[in-house]
Formats: sequence, structure tokens, C-alpha cells
Amino acid sequence: MTSRRCALAGLVGVALVLLLAPHTVLAQAPEPNNEECLACHGNPGMSTTLISNEELPLSVDPALFGASVHAQSGVACVDCHNNISTFPHPHLSAADRRDVTLQLYSACKTCHSDKYDQELDSVHGRALAGGNVNAAVCTDCHNPHTQGRLREKGTGLLVAEARLAIPQTCARCHSAIYEQYRTSVHGAALIGDPAQGMPGGNPDVPTCIDCHGVHSIEDPTTDAFRLKSPALCAACHADPQRMDKYGLSTAVMSTYVADFHGTTVTLFEKLSPDAQTNKPVCFDCHGVHDIQRVDDPQKGLQVKENLLHTCQKCHPGATANFPDSWLSHYIPDPQRNSLVYYVDLFYKIFIPAVLGGMGVFVLTDIVRRLIERRKGAKPQ
Amino acid sequence: MNPQARYQRFHWTQRVEHVLLILSFTTLAVTGLAQKYASAGVSQAILRALGGIENARTIHHVAAALMMFEAIYHLVGTGYKVIVRRSRMSMLPTLKDMGDALQALLYNVGLRKQRPQGDRYTFEEKAEYWALIWGTAIMALTGFMMWNPIATTHLLPGQVIPAAKAAHGAEAVLAVLAIILWHMYGVHLKRFNKSMWIGTMTEEEMIHEHPLELADLKAGTAQIAQDRKTLRRRRLAYFPTAGILAASMLVGLVYFVSYEKTAIETVPPAVDVPIYSPQTPTAVPTAAPHVAATSEPADAAPAALTWEDTIGPLLAKQCVMCHGPVNPASGLSLASYQTALAGGAGGPGVVPGAPAMSRLVVVQSAGAHPGQLTPDVLSMLKAWIEAGAPEK
Repeated sequence: MTSRRCALAGLVGVALVLLLAPHTVLAQAPEPNNEECLACHGNPGMSTTLISNEELPLSVDPALFGASVHAQSGVACVDCHNNISTFPHPHLSAADRRDVTLQLYSACKTCHSDKYDQELDSVHGRALAGGNVNAAVCTDCHNPHTQGRLREKGTGLLVAEARLAIPQTCARCHSAIYEQYRTSVHGAALIGDPAQGMPGGNPDVPTCIDCHGVHSIEDPTTDAFRLKSPALCAACHADPQRMDKYGLSTAVMSTYVADFHGTTVTLFEKLSPDAQTNKPVCFDCHGVHDIQRVDDPQKGLQVKENLLHTCQKCHPGATANFPDSWLSHYIPDPQRNSLVYYVDLFYKIFIPAVLGGMGVFVLTDIVRRLIERRKGAKPQ
Repeated sequence: MNPQARYQRFHWTQRVEHVLLILSFTTLAVTGLAQKYASAGVSQAILRALGGIENARTIHHVAAALMMFEAIYHLVGTGYKVIVRRSRMSMLPTLKDMGDALQALLYNVGLRKQRPQGDRYTFEEKAEYWALIWGTAIMALTGFMMWNPIATTHLLPGQVIPAAKAAHGAEAVLAVLAIILWHMYGVHLKRFNKSMWIGTMTEEEMIHEHPLELADLKAGTAQIAQDRKTLRRRRLAYFPTAGILAASMLVGLVYFVSYEKTAIETVPPAVDVPIYSPQTPTAVPTAAPHVAATSEPADAAPAALTWEDTIGPLLAKQCVMCHGPVNPASGLSLASYQTALAGGAGGPGVVPGAPAMSRLVVVQSAGAHPGQLTPDVLSMLKAWIEAGAPEK
């Protein structure tokens, strides 16, 4: 064994001791196990009254907790409620129910430090740091006593039921947005909407987190978010695998970028990603959470009046002909947008014809002059 | 041949036009093509150097206005020559130009012995001039449409706007490539023609480029003689008229660039509902009362009110964690009927028939005991003790 191997073995040994030590300590400590806690807290109706006069429920349903990912993974109540080891419990210093949550949620970082750190930098974390106590913390979305497994072990893919439940989770604080999403083309396909004949459960439509992310949720009202938002939509809408199923065009991004609006937004994003532009991005015309099918009678942009109304949001003077100046994501062809098609075609022929003609004169002239020079003839 | 002789080709007022054209055309080409090919790295470098796309558009618009100004200038100047000086309209294309072009080509490929003889303007120069006129007209028209799309679509179908954009971009490509190919070759490479800068040509240059005009000049037939009086009379008529026309065209130019306010300048709001709109009641991580209400203890109530059926399991679940058989708190074990009766340090736990003397009831009635029994369970416990606390 070389000395390097010895050193390696030593390091591994130290690491093992360090890894195992806290567990050993935990196992030896006379801390109450979950059954002991649930002996009291498993009873329904336990509660206490806080300074704010709010009633704080103290019961945890043992059945629901037992099914949770925490119970299944052997997490002890006192791993999170780590200030409690004996009875009587330490005095509850929280002034109100929100305060209780805010005091407790930082325990999550013990095991989930990556997610916790991402959240600190998110729109929620920043709002909280800025003094908005209503900003979501871990336990607002993940009830630690009932949270089931979200991602499949191994694949890391979102569990289908968990994906379906995402909008309801966000709805706890963003119920008005949820109401818009619920009946949108995306929301109805996910949640189901009998009024639209949508069964729900569609795995292709985005939930909240597909656009906003999880944990590291960015402020969606910034200029930077606005500028990069088309790429979010294009991630699905320019993907033939997803769009072909629904007969949707994947040229939506390229046609947008080719147009005045899209060119400008793309340039802003590339040259000054934090700057503001009012040139429209996808959601300015299609909506954000209330996106409808393009043939929807009320909001669909295929309906001319709806499109005109949409144009008028930014172009108040627009009249009936104006919306046709936008090619509606279509690539000009002889049937649709034929004028544009024929202008393009004209120049496809005209430019080479003119330049070719000029080229013939220039080239033959060069050749003639070279010949004359070689002959020593006096150039004319 | 007189080596000192110089023949005027371009008056300084015309050379100024050339400078205006170079400035406006180059600026338009750079700022325009960078927009047409916006995804190219070089375009983005240009746009970045110009301070972004919005700045580049403003520069493009200023250059466009300058070119329009130059067009008005040119019209006034041309009008003066045609109307006042009655110069020959030597820039108009003629059948001879067609013949000259053909002859030049045939000469180049060796099928003619001689190059065509150039007059005041050769067929190459006329081709370039009229290409510029065509291009400027197209660019002005399509530029106006893009600049004022709302006004345009009052009268014309919406589709003319993207069609104008297509034509504007394609025409720009054509113009730039034609300048590079035709103009650069014709006046820079083939023979360096300085006349647009210094205004004159030597006799030798005239012999090569414009022999027919030179012959006319020598014969004195190039310019129809005008008597001073007539000229003055014409000028007196022309300048006010041209001035009014030019002024109205300049007003038209201002109208062109400032006619419509196409779009709002603010960012439209994206979401029109409150962002934070919590559901009520606000969810908390602890169980909502209705969830717990369906679980076991409540269901256990209808069972027989005995230690074995009801009270024992209830206390076992709720109390024996502390008051268990091993090291019971306060010496009270509620693990069995006997130890419950015996009680602990505070006295007997259960006194059959006398709830008020039973330590269990006393402590629980005082409240705030860990594992506090709910009022329902407590009254059940009392009822059991009153009934003599039966074991079975």
C-alpha cells in the first residue's frame, strides 16, 4: 500500500466517522419518537390560543402523516421541531399563526438546503426578506405533515398526480390567477373543464412551474423576464414532438422573430437583457394565464375582431385593416398573404437578374481590359 | 489635345448632393441591413455600437429624412436646369443607350471592334442614376408605409405593410450590392473617376469617357445659348415657384416623419388580476379539524363504557407514553386497570363512583395537561367513573 493509498483510506475512515457520528448521537439521545408525539398530537381538536387570539391547531392526522414522504423516510417530528425534547414543551413565542410558520420553516434547510437556498433568492424569498410576511415559504406549498413523494425515485420525474396538484398549490395564494388558468387552454387540459369538454390530465400542457420554475421562482414582472419569456413559450411551441399531436405550428417562434415585434424583442434580449421594451412578447397578445385557443369566439386571435382589439391595446388608432399587417405567424404563400409572397418572389428573381446582368458587363469588361493590357494595346 | 483643358462635369451644388447621398445611403444601409439580418453576429455588433435597436431605428429615420431632403434638393436643381437653362435632358434613356450597352458587351467578348462612344452620360451612368431614382422611390414609399402603418391601413389592406417591409429589405440588398458591383467597378476600379469630387475632367478623360460630349463642346453645340434677359425672366418665375414647391415638399417630409403615433409608449399590463389573492381559510401545516374528526376516538364512543372496551385503549393511546408501566410520570401508570385505580404520587387515579375524587378527572378538568383530553372524552371518562368504573 502506497502512502497515498494510506492517506486515502484514512480520509475515507474519517469521513465515515463524521457521517455516522450525528446519527449515532441521535439514536442515543433520549428524544421522543414520533409515536410519543402523536400520542398527544395525533388526537383531533388539539389547539392553543396565540397572543393574537388566533387559534393554532396542534393536531396532526396520524394516518396522513404516516403516508407522507417524511414519515416513510423515517424523519422524526423532533428533527424539524428541534426545540422540543421534553414535556412541558418550551413556550410558544410566536405572536400569530403566520409567525409560527415563519419560525418553523427554516428547519427545512437541515435536509433540503439546496431548495432552501434557491428559495431565498426567489421572488418569494426576496419578498419575505423585504418584509412581506405573506410571501410563501417551504411549508406553505409543502405541508410537511402530509407531503407525499413528488418525484419518482430513480427517474426523478414528477409523479403524475403531483403534477396535477401543482396549480391548486399555487392557488392557495394566487387564487385569482388560478381562476384564469383553470379555464385557459392549458389549465382546462390539465385540470379538466366540463364546459369545454376537456377531460383533464393532459401531460403536455404547462403547469405553473413549467413557466415560473420551482423554488428559484423569478419575479415575472421584470423587464428581463419579459424579454426572455418568448423562449419559455417556444420551449414547447417550437417542439414538433409536442405540437404535432395537436396540429399546432412550430413556426410560431421563427415567424415572430422575423417580424418587427419579435426582431426588436430578440435584439433587446441579446443586447440589453435588463432593458425595457414595450414591443409585445407572446403573452401580450395571447394572454398570460388566460390563454385561449386561437379559435375561441371571445378571445381567440383567429377571430378578426379579437385580434383588432388586441392590436388596439398598443395601437389605439388601429382600424379594421390594421391587424392584417401582422401575418399571424403564417409564412407567406400564394394562398395566404399572397402579396407578401409575390413581393418576395419578385425580388428573388429581380435581384439576381439585375446583379447578374451587371456582373456580365463587369466580368467581360475586366477580361477585355486584361487582354488589352497583355497585348500591350493602348487601352481605349 | 490640350492637357491643361478641364471640362466641367458636376457643379458644386451637384457634388454636395453626392456627399448627402453617401452620408444618407451608407447610414441607411448599415442601420437597415443590421435590422434585416438581426440575428447575425455582425448586425448585433453594429446595433450594440449604435446603442441598441431603438437608437439604430432613430438614426435610420434621420438618415431617411436626409435622403428625402436630398431628393427634394435634386428635384429643384434638375428643374432649374431643365426649365431655366433649357439644358439638354442628357440623363433621359434613349435607344442609343440600348445600342451602346449591346455594343459594349459585344466589344468585350470580341465581336465588335470598338467600344461605344459615350455622350454626356454613358449608358452605365444612366443605368445607375435611374436605378437610384427607382430605388429611392420604392424605399420612400415602402418606408412611409412602415413608418405610418395605421395611416396606410386606413386606405390599403393590412398586408401591404409586411409587403412593404419585404420590398424595403430586398430593395436595400439590391441597392447595396449594385453600388458595390456597378458603382465601385465603374468609377473606382475600371478608372478612378474623380470628377464627382473635383467637378472636372481632363481632355484625355473626356476622350475616353465622353467623346461625343467633347465633340459637342468643341463644336459649341453642347449648350443651347440663352440670352441674359430670358434667363433672368425665367429665374424670376422659377425661384418663387420652385421655392413654394420645395417648401411644401419639406412640409410633406415633416408630415412623413411625424404623421402618426403608431404605438403607445408604455408597457401594457400583463396580468389584470391581483397577484396575491389567498384562499380562505389560509392553510396551515397542522391538520384541519374536519380531517381529525373522522378518525378513531370519536368512533369509539358508542362502544360499551368499560375499561376494556373504551377507557383502557383510549388512555393507552393518549397517556401511557408518559404514564406507562416503566418509570411512570408522577408514579401513575395508566397501562392497566389496577394501576389506574391505585394512582400515583397525587393520590388514586380513579375512584369508582366519585369522579371529583379521581385524580385523573381533577387534573384533566384543570386543563393544560399534556395530552389534554377533549371535553367530550373527559365527560365520557366522568360517566364511566360515575357508573362505577367497570373493568369489563
